[in-house]
Amino acid sequence: MAETVLRKPMKATHSINNAFASKFAKSMFLTVSGIIVLMFIGTRMFTHVDLNLYGYMVGTFVFIAGFFYRFIAWGERPPTKIIIKKGIKLLFRKSTPKTSVNHLGTYEFIWNRGIYRWTQHLLIGWGVILSCLVTFPLVFGWMYFTMEENGYYTIVAMGMDLMTVPADGVIAFLSYNALNITAIMVIIGVSMALYRRLKNMQARAEQKFIYDFLPLYLLLFISITGLILTFMNVFLHGAGHYAMSLIHQYSVIVTLIYLPFGKLAHIPFRPLSVFARNYREHYGEQSMKECKVCGDEFVSTEQSQDVVNVLGTNEIDFTMEQDGFNLAELCLPCRRKYRIARFSGFPTHEVKTKEANQNAKG
Amino acid sequence: MKKRLYIELENCIGCRSCLAACTQCGGHEQRNRNYVYDVNPHVNRQTMPLMCLHCENPACARSCPAQAIQIHETGAVLSALVEKCIGCQNCTIACPYGIPKFDEEENLMYKCDLCIDRTKDGIPPMCASVCPSNTLQWLTEEEIEQKQRRHDLDNDKWVTSMPYLEGATNVKVNLPGILQGTEKLF
Ligand code: HEM
Ligand code: SF4
Ligand code: SF4
Ligand code: SF4
Repeated sequence: MAETVLRKPMKATHSINNAFASKFAKSMFLTVSGIIVLMFIGTRMFTHVDLNLYGYMVGTFVFIAGFFYRFIAWGERPPTKIIIKKGIKLLFRKSTPKTSVNHLGTYEFIWNRGIYRWTQHLLIGWGVILSCLVTFPLVFGWMYFTMEENGYYTIVAMGMDLMTVPADGVIAFLSYNALNITAIMVIIGVSMALYRRLKNMQARAEQKFIYDFLPLYLLLFISITGLILTFMNVFLHGAGHYAMSLIHQYSVIVTLIYLPFGKLAHIPFRPLSVFARNYREHYGEQSMKECKVCGDEFVSTEQSQDVVNVLGTNEIDFTMEQDGFNLAELCLPCRRKYRIARFSGFPTHEVKTKEANQNAKG
Repeated sequence: MKKRLYIELENCIGCRSCLAACTQCGGHEQRNRNYVYDVNPHVNRQTMPLMCLHCENPACARSCPAQAIQIHETGAVLSALVEKCIGCQNCTIACPYGIPKFDEEENLMYKCDLCIDRTKDGIPPMCASVCPSNTLQWLTEEEIEQKQRRHDLDNDKWVTSMPYLEGATNVKVNLPGILQGTEKLF
């Protein structure tokens, strides 16, 4: 985001950079080696590499570099570090599969923000995920098709014959058209998002071109050039295929490179919402913090302490010497009343009354 | 010219126009993001608004693992980015004034963004636009200095923000001298 900056405490920068160089190199090396080994197995020792898709391969490697660059720096921030560390520890909670499906697959929380927003995201998100599930195995040779017998395709996955299907059957149809179907999903979803961004006053208030529109245009461009490719193959007998294929590949590569830096960075980062939910549930069951003023339980003891520690690393400390508590130990209504008390000189927080009307509805 | 939100707490008459106006700001989706409190509810009618003070070193943003709370170039501390907030609620625990609100159903934090689509163009935020009692004002640095000079009796009777708040803030607060046991001159 060009216009907004998150100021980092200067002190921390140096140590981040130190850890950075080695961690970055290590992650990069392991991932690239991993992909090459998988390629080796999947392509039966590199005998089935599809060089038409070479551009994607380069694009993916550049993307991985950008990804680690961005996310290792992110993971070094104290609050992020805590949620990742404790999230991994709590990964095997019983509720994890259910929470994951809910947060990462069906997006119930977006549904609660509005059915329109949910529909648009379901189409974009699943359209893109399914496209990747089809494209990347083809790129790295983890999956390909052979025709050993006339009229039948054999689907080969990770070097093993998975199944043989008739070339005019349903599975074959879905396989060739998978990318067309997902492209149409993405186009509808992106159009809905664009429409909302142009018409809806709520959405218009805070949007910016680079952050909010660029990713939508990129996705639209990829999907349309992809569909044109199919059109050229089917109706124009492949005329212009080569040029269009380059344009399409180029647009995917640009998007991959942009991904770790703009709005689309939420995709690899979102699984942390499952970590966050586990973190709140687990420590909430263990022990809850009681408000130092009214005694209500309002957050887990663990989280209250974590927040105090994180603020400490930023040299922020809200210990109220005169009253003998830290502000993070007051429930939210008491904390607000305590502030009124500090403004007015009268101990508002000690008056045992529920907070007055806060919604202006009379 | 850069203007700031400036609050004269004891002017407040408790009409709650600021809360109603807040719901109507673009991007607020009909929900208000600030508070009005009775100071001593069983005894008198004095009320005071409680707003996000847009801290210069905001605890909410510092505690957010997702970097969902961005700081605008004007200094406004924005509401959570809808695609980034992972719903951990660290920010609600971190804020010294208890400002950020959390929607469990939407798994999303929302807070005062100083009506950024207005204030980035120098238009006052909704609350200051409607406040009938001059509790909430939208003033230039010079005007705030003038206020300060008018109230400054060189005897600690006029106080803004520091040291009575927990850190430097972009919103300036004129603390109510009367209620602190000192008198304010008009
Ligand atoms: C891992 C699962 C994912 C989760 C949990 C997730 C979550 C979200 C959330 C919460 C929003 C804000 C929606 C709103 O409040 O209206 C959003 C927006 C968006 N997401 Fe995702 N996302 C995921 C995957 C993806 C994928 C794979 C894509 C495809 C590239 C994608 C593209 C987008 C786009 C383009 C927007 C912005 C829509 C707009 O302009 O309003 N997301 N996402
Ligand atoms: S609009 Fe002004 S007078 Fe009315 S409640 Fe809000 S701050 Fe008080
Ligand atoms: S008052 Fe609270 S919500 Fe507002 S910027 Fe400061 S810490 Fe954040
Ligand atoms: S609730 Fe959302 S905005 Fe608040 S700290 Fe957690 S991720 Fe950040």
